[in-house]
Amino acid sequence: MKLLVIEDEASLLQSIMEYFEQIDFLCEGVTTYANAIQKIDDYNYDCIILDINLPDGSGFELLKYLRKYKKDEGVVIISARNSLDDKITGLNFGADDYVTKPFHLSELNARIKALIRRKYAHGIDILEAGNLKMDLAARTVVCENQILSLTKNEFNLLLYLINNKNRVVSKQAIAEHIYGDETDNMPSFDFVYSHIKNLKRKLKEKGCEDIVQTVYGLGYKLSI
Amino acid sequence: MSKPLLQQNTRYLLLWLPVVLLGCTLLFFVLMQMQAHHMQEEQLFLKQKNIWNAFKVKSGNIDNHIAGEYDIIQSANNESIELNELRDTVIYYPDKQKSLPFKILTSELNWNNKIYQVTTYVSSTEIKHLIIKVFLGEALLFVLLLIAIVILNRKSSRLLWKPFFSTMKNVNEYDITRNQSLMLQSKTGTTEFDELNTVITNLINKVNAAYYNQKQFVENASHEIQTPLAIIRSKLELLINQPGLTEKNASLLGDITDATNRLSQMNKTLLLLSKIENNQFPEIEAVNVSQMIERILDSLIIYYDNFPEVESKIQPNVILHANHSLTEILISNIIRNAVEHNQRNGKIIIHLSPVNLLVENTGPSLQTNPALLFERFRKDSYQTKTTGLGLALVKQICNLYSYSVSYQYNNGWHKMQIIFRQPAA
Repeated sequence: MKLLVIEDEASLLQSIMEYFEQIDFLCEGVTTYANAIQKIDDYNYDCIILDINLPDGSGFELLKYLRKYKKDEGVVIISARNSLDDKITGLNFGADDYVTKPFHLSELNARIKALIRRKYAHGIDILEAGNLKMDLAARTVVCENQILSLTKNEFNLLLYLINNKNRVVSKQAIAEHIYGDETDNMPSFDFVYSHIKNLKRKLKEKGCEDIVQTVYGLGYKLSI
Repeated sequence: MSKPLLQQNTRYLLLWLPVVLLGCTLLFFVLMQMQAHHMQEEQLFLKQKNIWNAFKVKSGNIDNHIAGEYDIIQSANNESIELNELRDTVIYYPDKQKSLPFKILTSELNWNNKIYQVTTYVSSTEIKHLIIKVFLGEALLFVLLLIAIVILNRKSSRLLWKPFFSTMKNVNEYDITRNQSLMLQSKTGTTEFDELNTVITNLINKVNAAYYNQKQFVENASHEIQTPLAIIRSKLELLINQPGLTEKNASLLGDITDATNRLSQMNKTLLLLSKIENNQFPEIEAVNVSQMIERILDSLIIYYDNFPEVESKIQPNVILHANHSLTEILISNIIRNAVEHNQRNGKIIIHLSPVNLLVENTGPSLQTNPALLFERFRKDSYQTKTTGLGLALVKQICNLYSYSVSYQYNNGWHKMQIIFRQPAA
């Protein structure tokens, strides 16, 4: 999978690229509008991560440019502006998703994975990881040929962990992913722990033991 | 002690105008007297002339004495009489049985080398009556004048000061946090008030600009903080995925992650606060608060391990016309506040009516001043993990929709009340 990251903050760009390279993406990064145009003209990408505020132009302009030349790369906007208007403008200009800074890389990854699945899986909504099989359309999980009955939140949690498999996902990232803005101003994320506990118990019952590990109270990791 | 200008003006007028009018009355009286004296003198000289002419024509063959009209006496050289000067006298009228006052004038005139003393009489009763009548009329006029001046003055003052009171009302109703512009009349018809309005408008504009800059600063700062926060977060995520993570390092990273998270939430909330201040939530819809509270309670119960016992006294289908997400933030913050500041095995009582929302919870009393509870970054000392912005947010949203919010503590119960609208009196 080829990924173009357009972000003017070099340090953040480097983090994003490093993260995605670790999970076997081919990444290219640019920090300016002009360079971005050049890359888009010369190459094709599966997905583009786009910052709205660039030193020499607006991400929205870039989106317009992309769509004008019928390039259908999936685009995820990353913006410091968390306003509904910006979100709507971005989506109207043909962006596929919108993430607000400061985001978790695991969240960005989950969005990119979902986007790629939507764009390139051609209706096959089955996600396989080890012994687990998730049917995203029917929202069912099969483990060792046995159906797991999960709540909506547990399903989303498992999907998130699978999207970020073999990586430590912080409990803050999980909380924000599953509960969104409701976690604002929450003093603790202990509720994530009880969700994980239930999920682990259900997995264990069906024989998928120990695939979710706790990492020193920092977060959780699904290893396959 | 300060009194209304109108009253002061009236007092001043009532104090000094009678003095002036009284002075004028006295002056008028003196002038009238002088005028009367002069007129009587003229009358007496004319009479004297007519009589003397008649005396000379008739060669002295006229009556030498007619009571109340004239006396002609030949050379009675009486030294004590002042000549050519008005004198007072009285004549007794037997039919009326009283003496009447007269003015008399005596002159010495010469005819056929004989000196005659001619004295003419004129009644001073009529002129006295006239003076009294005129004087009374004038006094009456002055009293009427005094009343008229005071009334006119009050009326015209009220009319003239109208722009001033209109300005006062507008300035008083002006609320800088509501982003409204102050509309003052630019043409009042009075130079001073025009100037006053211009000065106030300029002042408000300056204050507004300063306030706007401050709001803008908070918003810009919050936006700018997002990027460094994103960098820290991304680096932390890379760091926790490094091989060979030790427990010690993990605990350090855990603390950093927590702090970053708090910073991020604080920043998000500050941004939200400034957005509310900047009126960036214009969409208003009918929000069913009763259902919203049930939903929020359901989702909040997941977050807390020992959720207090909840007693709901919620009237069904209470509708508010407000922004949906702001209402949700408002109610969720109030309820979360009641959960977080609760005690073990505590309780929450939620009352909801179309008029108000009252959330009561058990818990230890506050260490801080309750009056400052709704200020930003105010929190009780033992709470270290919250951002201290939850209630500021509540206040801000209440301000936006003109709800009133209040806090009380008694007998181990915290009571947080929001009044949506004043009950009809």
